[in-house]
Amino acid sequence: MRIVILGVGALGSTTAVLCRALDATLVFVDFDKVESKNLLAQAFVKQSLGKNKAEALKAQLLNFYGTKAEAFGVRVTKDNVEQLTKDAGLIVDCFDNAESRRIVSEHARAKNVPLVHAAISGDGSFGLVRWDARFTPDAEDHAGQATCEGGEHLPMIGLLSAALARTIQDFVTKQEQRDSMVGLKSITVTS
Amino acid sequence: MAILNITYNGLSADYPIEMDGRVSDADIKRIALEVVRSGEVPGLALPHLPAAAFDGFVIDRLQNGQRLYLRPKVPFGA
Repeated sequence: MRIVILGVGALGSTTAVLCRALDATLVFVDFDKVESKNLLAQAFVKQSLGKNKAEALKAQLLNFYGTKAEAFGVRVTKDNVEQLTKDAGLIVDCFDNAESRRIVSEHARAKNVPLVHAAISGDGSFGLVRWDARFTPDAEDHAGQATCEGGEHLPMIGLLSAALARTIQDFVTKQEQRDSMVGLKSITVTS
Repeated sequence: MAILNITYNGLSADYPIEMDGRVSDADIKRIALEVVRSGEVPGLALPHLPAAAFDGFVIDRLQNGQRLYLRPKVPFGA
């Protein structure tokens, strides 16, 4: 199966590492570059500084684990989402803005491609893993709102990424589509 | 009988709620504030919960409105 992870910042990169043993082809899409602040909360290492995140994650998985992946260092738009997710058996949304989430939702619904979303609150106390049929993107409080630049939410990012990776695994192996809520003390399956 | 799940400060708990038709988001937030303050929600008793605690929160209505989730916004991922 071809699994396309859209956005490989905190949740996307950590989830990708946890999905490296799956019998699937991982595809990473992100236009952004690795900055020093990202090392505190994302799965990037110092040697990846300055590189495109998708390309850096691809290189790290190959160098550290021997896992082959594909990478597209571009921003997802209405015009390229179909090409970027071509042949996907599963799309994973780890974007950090509502507009990009809407673009991929519209595409996945139109093409009937399974899509799972992961999202975290600004204060790092709560997160969701939710399949597209039950997901509505939440807007930022203001454009460019920052989260977790100092790594203070890293444990929650790990919890939520683990829940997402398990959800992906269950889909790949059993075609199950389970939603989860992740808080500071529990991961609750909600459907 | 619907189930209202309330998440605040990283903790979540369920509270059964009788609803006669569609209840507005504002009313659900008001009910949640009252029951959390009064200690009626197991595991989520906060007598000094600020009045604005649920401002900016969102409410998901799933399973034909039988499951309600009052939770913080989750805009982030990457």
